[in-house]
Amino acid sequence: MTEAPRQLRLRVTSDPANLAPVRHEVESFARACGFDEAARGEIVLCVNEAMTNITRHAYDGATDQPIELSATFADDLLRITVRDWGAGRTPRPCDQSHDPLRPGGVGMLCLRELMDRITFTPQTDGMLLVMERKLE
Amino acid sequence: MQNLTPTTDLIPAARQEGDALLVAIRGEVDLHNSPELRAELFDLLGRTKAKRLILDMGQVPYMDSSALAVIVEALKKLTKAGGKVVLFSLQPRVRGLIEIARLTTVLGIAKDEREALTK
Repeated sequence: MTEAPRQLRLRVTSDPANLAPVRHEVESFARACGFDEAARGEIVLCVNEAMTNITRHAYDGATDQPIELSATFADDLLRITVRDWGAGRTPRPCDQSHDPLRPGGVGMLCLRELMDRITFTPQTDGMLLVMERKLE
Repeated sequence: MQNLTPTTDLIPAARQEGDALLVAIRGEVDLHNSPELRAELFDLLGRTKAKRLILDMGQVPYMDSSALAVIVEALKKLTKAGGKVVLFSLQPRVRGLIEIARLTTVLGIAKDEREALTK
């Protein structure tokens, strides 16, 4: 049996054109780690939404700014970190009474509901997001 | 029935049937191409004056919140005029996003085109 890769590292710009290639890389990594189709869909959605939020909010729409993503897998735990060098604002907590017809907030809902744990750690020059998902 | 000519690969086919605009969407839709989807969709809605928007999602394996926002914007526009939006042939990842966004009760969801047209 092929051993799962232990680490994935990607450095891209905040251009939304990078979303699909990053999703595909993360999906391949998650597949090699043993996540099933449904779980992989949820993981790549969270990565996509995290990156989208960075472009929109941390970088205020700029498409030439750096985003670093790394993923590790150990002890059945997938840990994905996403680092940006933007505004460094911690997103507001999710509104449980989310109004589906009001724009915004869906990305954070995805992260809160589909990951086992997420933490935003402000840096002196940006933000570090860590998302964790257990293999079940 | 009137066939329409979309100008983006994201919409391989569109046609009008009575007050319904039927649009097939194709491909992964995210922040990179959702503005293109929005422009084309609203152009078609403006040209046809349709009250119902029926979206064939059978060729959409993935979409993100920015694509969903386009559909919600269309929904808000049409419901103001007494219309609706119905999606059919949803793939699992797209259905999952719609469920997380709590949109299953406000968007019409159908199994296939026939059911979508009767919703």
